[in-house]
Amino acid sequence: MKKNCNHQADCLKLIQRIVDREASPEEEATFLANKEQCIPCQEGYELEQSLRNAIKSSCSSKCPEALFARIKSKLFVVLILISILIPLFC
Amino acid sequence: METPTITVSMPQNNAQALFEKEFMPHLDAMYNFALRLTNDEDDAQDLVQDTCMKAFRFIDSFEPGTYAKAWLFRILKNNFINDYRKKSRGPSKVEFEWVEQSFSGDEDQEPATHADLHAETVNEMLGDEITAAIQALPVDFRMIIILCDLEEFSYEEMARILDIPIGTVRSRLHRARAILKERLASYAKSKGYY
Repeated sequence: MKKNCNHQADCLKLIQRIVDREASPEEEATFLANKEQCIPCQEGYELEQSLRNAIKSSCSSKCPEALFARIKSKLFVVLILISILIPLFC
Repeated sequence: METPTITVSMPQNNAQALFEKEFMPHLDAMYNFALRLTNDEDDAQDLVQDTCMKAFRFIDSFEPGTYAKAWLFRILKNNFINDYRKKSRGPSKVEFEWVEQSFSGDEDQEPATHADLHAETVNEMLGDEITAAIQALPVDFRMIIILCDLEEFSYEEMARILDIPIGTVRSRLHRARAILKERLASYAKSKGYY
């Protein structure tokens, strides 16, 4: 088991592309097979995943019902305006 | 709020149906993105409302079958930059006491690869601490992290939403994460997580 990674900068970029689902299946398979032999890569992979999960669970907010209703009613007004104005100019 | 200039040329029923089917389901995500950008609930609501009205106004330029969410996020981002960025509130400094710095350096500059932060520490942190850390990031970095980690847009979609080359998406994201990790690490240390 390696305690130091000689390619840490490149490995971190690959880890992030894997977590972002941007790496090719081959790149991902090669990394996952090798990561068990390298402590920094293993820890880096776990950290990037934890960070992503933490952001997902802590930064979500729902649209207030009042805003939803306001947008719908504004849209309704615009449609009414169109139905009145267009026949006047056509 | 101004009434939008009406340029919708498709039949009204079609426009309304398209809007409700394709756009309304993304309202939660739009509001969340707007809230992260503005740091203010009222501004976020205004930004989403303006974005929806603009999207409806330009609905003819939307190609059905393409990704409506990416199209809406691009309008929202442009709207934010043009009308809201100057007046957006700063990040909350109650917990973190982090000063927002202007990272004016080269975006391709290699960030530090290793912050002294571990997965277990992140897992132990409270949601509010993570949120505050995100909100304290400069807006361009905050934006790309939300688009990628929360909304799961691809690099290509983010490049289109942000009007930047895909290489800049990669480097900005990499840098944003490095800064976030550095800040979480120093916060964790100051709060005695390890």
